[in-house]
Amino acid sequence: MQYFAGIDIGSTAIKVALVDENKQLVGHRISASGSMFYKYAKQSLKDMLNELNIDEKDLVYTVSTGYGRKLFKEADENISEITANAVGARAAAQDKCEIKTIINIGGQDSKAISLDSEGNVVNFAMNDRCAAGTGKFLDVVAMNLELEVDELGDYHFRSKGTPLAINSTCAVFAESEIIGLLGNDNSVEDIVAGVHYSIAKRIIKLVKRVGIKENIYFDGGPALNGGLVHAIENELGMKIFIPDFPQITTSYGAAILAHESYTYENEVD
Amino acid sequence: MTKEMREHKIETPKEKQNRHKAMEAKTVLQKIKHEFKEPPKAMDYFYNLYESVHCRHEPLHNDKIKVGTMCIQVPAEIVYALDAVPIRLCNGFYTDDEIGSDFLPSKACPLVKATVGQFASDNFSDKPDIVISPTTCDQKAKSGAIIEEMGYKLFDMEFPRTKESEESREYWRRSVRKFTKELSTDLGKKITRKKLKEAIKKVGYAQHLYHKLNVLRKNIATPILGVDMFLVTNAFFFDKIDNWIEAVDALVQECEQRVEDEFSAAHKRSPRIVYTGSPPIFPNLKVPLLIELSDAIIVADETCSSNRMFNDMVSVDEWFVNDMIDSVADRYLKGCTCPIFTKNEDRKRRIIDLVKDYKADGVVYQAFAGCQVYEMEQRSVLDAMEKEGIPIIYLESDYSPSHMGQLTTRIEAFVESLKNRRRKR
Repeated sequence: MQYFAGIDIGSTAIKVALVDENKQLVGHRISASGSMFYKYAKQSLKDMLNELNIDEKDLVYTVSTGYGRKLFKEADENISEITANAVGARAAAQDKCEIKTIINIGGQDSKAISLDSEGNVVNFAMNDRCAAGTGKFLDVVAMNLELEVDELGDYHFRSKGTPLAINSTCAVFAESEIIGLLGNDNSVEDIVAGVHYSIAKRIIKLVKRVGIKENIYFDGGPALNGGLVHAIENELGMKIFIPDFPQITTSYGAAILAHESYTYENEVD
Repeated sequence: MTKEMREHKIETPKEKQNRHKAMEAKTVLQKIKHEFKEPPKAMDYFYNLYESVHCRHEPLHNDKIKVGTMCIQVPAEIVYALDAVPIRLCNGFYTDDEIGSDFLPSKACPLVKATVGQFASDNFSDKPDIVISPTTCDQKAKSGAIIEEMGYKLFDMEFPRTKESEESREYWRRSVRKFTKELSTDLGKKITRKKLKEAIKKVGYAQHLYHKLNVLRKNIATPILGVDMFLVTNAFFFDKIDNWIEAVDALVQECEQRVEDEFSAAHKRSPRIVYTGSPPIFPNLKVPLLIELSDAIIVADETCSSNRMFNDMVSVDEWFVNDMIDSVADRYLKGCTCPIFTKNEDRKRRIIDLVKDYKADGVVYQAFAGCQVYEMEQRSVLDAMEKEGIPIIYLESDYSPSHMGQLTTRIEAFVESLKNRRRKR
């Protein structure tokens, strides 16, 4: 059996995915990027192969993607995370619906990608300035509220009052806004809901720039946060598709692209 | 993620609009309640009122016929005399401003866009049964027609563009008579001497209480903040008048006590500001808030969302229905300092009087971007203030909650310059 790997080296996490000859996902692994992208990425790939009892020789083609893609020198090819994300999203949803729009919230950026009916990227938009409305922002919020990031969803659904708007577009100023709100005896639940709605509104502006076309796919770590999903769906006024493993969509896409590149090259030979 | 989380219902467009508005309202109330010294206890009535109407969208006038008004110039006395409630629909919500943008030119005034936006979304906690649109400024006059096309019942109320001439006075009196007659026919109610007299007295009493409260702001230890005063006057747009009177009465008493105790709502050295220009309407209290957050205090204002509603009382010679209607008309024209008039010496005079009477250090003049008349009158007001040696700053703004940085810097610098000026005196 031959295997194909996709490695997505992001600002916060390294995601590795492996597909077989039938483009089926056989394994994945998520680890922190830390300070040494290259070393950790290599380690992560090795650990995954060990775990799955796959010989390194059977790994015939590797595609790297993400911010740190050029650092991974062993890769046979590197491809932008926009393309990889598009391929991964279409594949992850293929049995359920046709994806036309992708929302991706990463550690330090957010994107909206528009696809045509063949899955080609026709347009995309990214946040231009700062970290507000990204995964990092949620980390900071959770820290201020003394919560774990994965508790945010529960708190959101327990909010009974009016969600408290966060108007600053800067993560640092937003942090001081949140501290101010906490000082005024507001419930943590309403603050959490407000944070989710502020991020949602910002994301919707991004999506509107590329055009809202159903179905919409949401990936990246923050897609695990049910409260944020709820806020985005309310702001959009429609349901969105959340994959089973939202964090690895892009690396999965890269692995599929590895398979395609390998097949293409061998056909030519 | 739990299954429960994935199976929630998605908000309807109305629910979404209401949530957006509630979030806007809450943010402003938060700031007013918590970022300053302790507000008067009697302000709780108003904070709760705004939470109820603008955060929870609870109706106030279920059992009453509601007459929506598009401008301050619709005589409330006549509406009350016909057993209906006037509800002023001038709107301060950015959420509605964005909705209204689809119907009006992009350079239109945000207040008008927000008003049209609310009609377009047909989302009212107290939906008006009929809408009265005075032909004051161009944008309001034209948007009346847009609202009518949306299927609302609308009455155009003609308003003159000059007020000094005998003709304009007569023209406006006839307009108010026609309005009274048509509204009376429309609502199937007859206007009686007793009812109209009662209504005049009641609105007059509300004005009287406002004056009582307002003069307390002349004290150097000013007992109440400008932002709280804006909440009080804005509530007159939609509140039950009897409740409003009761609440303001309590507020007057509390503020009188504060004056006696020499309790100041701001710092002793906070510069005193007269606010003028486009009307701050809740929750767009952006500029007043920035002024007071910059350690100044608004001690008086010259705007149609506040002071101007209460300026002159109806003065009646003979308590007959027709005389009363004419007297009501006069109060709305003569005391009006709206910039729609061809020339406006009254407005300049009033601002100067306010600066002197309320011992103000400077004037903040805000115009909404797109509010042509306030934009155009800016130069002549600035010149008049310069002649009097009164510092003034002119600001242009809109309803958008972001991009506050530049506004903040300008206001802070102005307040600091006033502080320096004081030190040198």
